[in-house]
Amino acid sequence: MGKGDRAKSAREKIAQQRAADQARERRKKLVTYVTAGAVALAAVGAGWWYAASRSQAEQAAETLAPITVNPEGDVVMAKEGVTKPVVDIYVDYQCPACRELERVSGATFKNLAAEGVAKVVYHPITIFSQEPLHSNSVRAGAASRCVTDGPKWMAFNDALFEHQPSESGEGFKVDELVKLGKDVGITDPGFENCVTSQTYAKAQADYSKKIGDEHKIEGTPTVKVDGVVLDNSVAFTPQELRETITEAAK
Amino acid sequence: MNASEASRNARWAIPWVTTAARLVLGGVLIVAGGLKIGNPSESVVAVRAYELLPDAVATTVGYGLPIVEVVVGLLLIIGLMTRVAAVVAALLMLAFVFGIAWAWANGLRIDCGCFGGGGQLGAGQEPTYLVDILRDFGFVLLGAWIVRFPPGRYALDRPLGLAGLDHPIGEEENGDGQGRPGEVGA
Repeated sequence: MGKGDRAKSAREKIAQQRAADQARERRKKLVTYVTAGAVALAAVGAGWWYAASRSQAEQAAETLAPITVNPEGDVVMAKEGVTKPVVDIYVDYQCPACRELERVSGATFKNLAAEGVAKVVYHPITIFSQEPLHSNSVRAGAASRCVTDGPKWMAFNDALFEHQPSESGEGFKVDELVKLGKDVGITDPGFENCVTSQTYAKAQADYSKKIGDEHKIEGTPTVKVDGVVLDNSVAFTPQELRETITEAAK
Repeated sequence: MNASEASRNARWAIPWVTTAARLVLGGVLIVAGGLKIGNPSESVVAVRAYELLPDAVATTVGYGLPIVEVVVGLLLIIGLMTRVAAVVAALLMLAFVFGIAWAWANGLRIDCGCFGGGGQLGAGQEPTYLVDILRDFGFVLLGAWIVRFPPGRYALDRPLGLAGLDHPIGEEENGDGQGRPGEVGA
């Protein structure tokens, strides 16, 4: 092996060594990168799971507590003899957050009433003053007053939220409301005429104003337990909602 | 001031601009996400208010968006996976710009829900679409800057050796003076 060859081989060795170092360095960086990425993704996953589980709705019981539709506009759902705590729910059929409350916590209210833990009182009001939201809401609210049978009122109430129209246009048209009612099994012959002629439109508007003034309702949804407004973070978290109301029942 | 000096100044300033952009964009994301994270239902309602996504997707996005914002914001602040985080942040902001423009074009009257709130305007409130769009577009530009010149000063990517990983080593383009000697002013 000549002198030149030796130098060449030494250079090659150094080059090889450097390549190996670089490869190791790259691997190390890649591992760091992947680890950091995995931790970030895990944090996102955990946060998503936490949010979803907080908002997890209860399974609604098969049988509801007895429901009484008062002519004035309140709808009371309570087992016989249960008079407190009183859970007042103020909602507007056109309000998206009310729809979300129904989706997330509706079953909890029903279950608590069915278990005899609380007396639940629904107040379907019209909170919107701007159009077309105001008219949409009044039509829906007036239609719900046409249903006097408790369980059917509840079915109609749920259907109204489920089919809440967009806020950008006219919705809850009378023929749609009639169809919704029939779909949930309302057979009362007077229902269609009551909805179509908007028999209770004025009653709904007057009731909303009265409730808004007397109960100091600033927005919907509002949930009160024995007259005290519940924080939204509680009202929209079924487990905390259940605990709060159960606590108030003691 | 000759050309080389100007270039040197730029090389000194660019990583600091990146750091500033990281702090602003990261800070905004953390605040925006943090305000929403405690109230997932409100976040869902806000996403739905855009009437852009089907209900099931809107629900998933509503639950996920706040935590994504917080995590990406944190990554930007500490400068970890800076470039990837900046890409995500810029895409998020671009999506917000699109969403708000969509709401505007479709005549919806909503609050952007950017910093919490259920997307509903309060009584007597007017939508502020143009301001929201311009603001979010500004954040897109900050994100783009970070993507172009990562990771800036005080970034965890550097001690971890990640600074050059997502773009070829040797193309030290962030001009932070920590690149290979002899490149300065080149």
